[in-house]
Amino acid sequence: MGRKKLIFLGALVAVLLAAAAFAEYLTPYDPYAQDLANALQPPCAAHPLGTDRYGRDMLSRVIMGGQTTIYSSLLLVVLITVAGSAVGIVCGYFGGKLDAVLMRISDVFLAFPGMVFAIAVASVMQGGVMNAVAALACISWPRYARIARSQVLTVKSMPYIHAARLSGSGTAKILCRHVAPNIAGPVIVTAVLDIGTMMMEIAGLSFLGLGAAPPTAEWGSMMSNGRSMLQTSPWVILAPGAAIFLTVMIFNLFGDTVRDALDPRQRKRRMEDGPVA
Amino acid sequence: MKKRNRLENIGAAALAACLTAGLLAGCGASGGGSGDGAETDGGKVFYYGDTTFNAENDESDVNPHNGYSGWACIRYGIGETLFKYSDTMELEPWLATGYENVDETTWVVTLRDGVSFTSGRAMDAEAVKECLEHLTETHERAKGDLKIADITAEGQTVTIRTTEPVPALMNYLSDPYGCIIDMEAGITDDGNVSGTGPYRATLVETDKGLTLVKNEDYWGGEPKLDTIYVQTISDGDTMTMAMQSGELDAAYGLPYASLPLFEGEPYTISSVETSRSFFGQINYETEALQDADVRAAIAGAIDKESFVSVLMDGNGSAAVGPFPSNFAFGDSTVTAQPYDPEASKALLAKAGWTDTDGDGYVDKDGEKLVIRWLTYPSRQELPLLAESAQASLKEIGVDVQVNCTANHLDYIESGDWDIYASAFVTAPTGDPEYFFTTHCLDTSSKNRGGYHSDELEALEAQMSVAFDEEERAALATQMSQVILDDNAFLFASHLRMSIVSGEGVTGLTAHPCDYYEITAELDKN
Repeated sequence: MGRKKLIFLGALVAVLLAAAAFAEYLTPYDPYAQDLANALQPPCAAHPLGTDRYGRDMLSRVIMGGQTTIYSSLLLVVLITVAGSAVGIVCGYFGGKLDAVLMRISDVFLAFPGMVFAIAVASVMQGGVMNAVAALACISWPRYARIARSQVLTVKSMPYIHAARLSGSGTAKILCRHVAPNIAGPVIVTAVLDIGTMMMEIAGLSFLGLGAAPPTAEWGSMMSNGRSMLQTSPWVILAPGAAIFLTVMIFNLFGDTVRDALDPRQRKRRMEDGPVA
Repeated sequence: MKKRNRLENIGAAALAACLTAGLLAGCGASGGGSGDGAETDGGKVFYYGDTTFNAENDESDVNPHNGYSGWACIRYGIGETLFKYSDTMELEPWLATGYENVDETTWVVTLRDGVSFTSGRAMDAEAVKECLEHLTETHERAKGDLKIADITAEGQTVTIRTTEPVPALMNYLSDPYGCIIDMEAGITDDGNVSGTGPYRATLVETDKGLTLVKNEDYWGGEPKLDTIYVQTISDGDTMTMAMQSGELDAAYGLPYASLPLFEGEPYTISSVETSRSFFGQINYETEALQDADVRAAIAGAIDKESFVSVLMDGNGSAAVGPFPSNFAFGDSTVTAQPYDPEASKALLAKAGWTDTDGDGYVDKDGEKLVIRWLTYPSRQELPLLAESAQASLKEIGVDVQVNCTANHLDYIESGDWDIYASAFVTAPTGDPEYFFTTHCLDTSSKNRGGYHSDELEALEAQMSVAFDEEERAALATQMSQVILDDNAFLFASHLRMSIVSGEGVTGLTAHPCDYYEITAELDKN
């Protein structure tokens, strides 16, 4: 059952990633070509999702926007996973003053309300998707540092690490070959579960005008631009809204399934709770 | 384990229910709208929504001697000026009954009898003198416009002498900063004043709103409402919903995109063409734009008609020059570069800009023609103009990079722009000279692009001493044509201003000057 679900959701994620990667070839119209004579057309055969106030085809823009939104969230998640885990591994393995200093820095970041801090950082850095990614990366890495550090503290005292050290392996080798692979499970689960959240946050920043700059197609900024037409031409805001909803849901369900598959403890607990009617 | 889970679930559900109930109750309480009964214990109450009463628009209180707060003072019926504008923007008596231009620098103004301030003091020449003296001491813009040397007061006659001829003096005095207020009663710490209008403010809250009550002794007849709550709602969509829910009786500044929702019963929309214009200024520091052909090519590539009909939902008119056609010196008297992308391409080619590398953008000596288009988001249609210009200029091979930011003034300062698109009321006092002195001359504070024309400077020298209205109109036409021939400014559109009234509201009419709103005639049944 679990396996089938994983394959099904994995396939959906693969389809999304492929659609985003080949967006240029999939769009029926040029997502940036304005045609004021056909502005705000409701969904019809020629434009299945209608057109926006500049007469641009919404379907083409939603597909193109997927590229921006999905790949920037993936980039963001990869960034914070790598950076956060690196800090966590170093702290956990070496301990001492370095650990104290880095962990206090991460405490400072964790003390701020995340989105508010991201808004502040993004507005200082001006608009642009990459700046939004950088702003969110600034606030999101400490969680990964904490997870990685706690895992390293457990792994550090394992016999195989002692064995590696006794056999003369260098610190770098131990960290890369023995520590990192053994803490990867929980970190990857967190990362996969985070993709949906990060997508929402990037779209959120763009909605506030701090992410993608016009005319870049991006779901959050498309919703923001269509906001004033919610009552008169609802398709302008519903199309990107539905795209965010579906994509985030698929990534979250996929994340859940991956966790179940990778984390035996969760699976066990589920089985205990399972029979509850 | 199971039991605890269930308990937790019940607890969470109960908590969620409480929160939801709290939220709903909160909405109900804050609604506080007018509902259907206009009459309450406090008499007739009116709720008016406005987007502009806030510090962002330099309208932080109702003191006319502070920035643009005079607009609030006059809009909400607190203050009045010596003369007012008719629907065709000609001067009519208001607090003054007439004036005489004794010589080029001396003006004698006769005041209306029987007018008093809400403080109780009679409005006489001495009061007007005190008010205008305080105005010129504290208000830089007024000081520069009026150039008052001295004022003498006698009974109901005020004599004003200026340091140099100011042909449009009476027009300038009818600007909102010219609201006559009682300086003996003074200006309170929260920026409240005592004027002569149909209403007086009892509570002034910057960025939030005002409470107005009827001026029982108003000289122009008894105002029909007892209390008016002016509410600042800067977000257009929020205001749309407030208007739909009946929380507001009338609203100014609704987004154009929302207006279709208010067509038909029970709403009425009062609309009027104003001289608020969207236009782009050319930066003459940019080398490519120093070429007249390049400027002409850009001017001819912008599709103003489509911008107005589609992106502004027809709420305005495509502009030719700085002034709309209802002025004697308006759009019907001047000509601009016509919309013709093919001709624009030819002009670019003539200037040496062609697409040699086939990337869709023109280049010259290995450099692409990139235009940094600077604008700001607080006027909702400016970003739309930027995006539509970006697409139309792409057609002729010009790469437009839009920078739409609230920090636009910092960019102006740094010179990091090529075309700056902004909104400006070009003839707020019905007189044309103001636009040229603020934007086009060597001495103009808003001549951001460093534009200079010998011909324009010579015409302005004539304008500054021309007293005859027809002569001023003819000069204004010539001056507009000079800046249009140079393509130093790209005028896109003139805006229509609309006020939406709800059920039973009468007496609220949009005026072309954009600053007469609440009058003694405003009523609700």
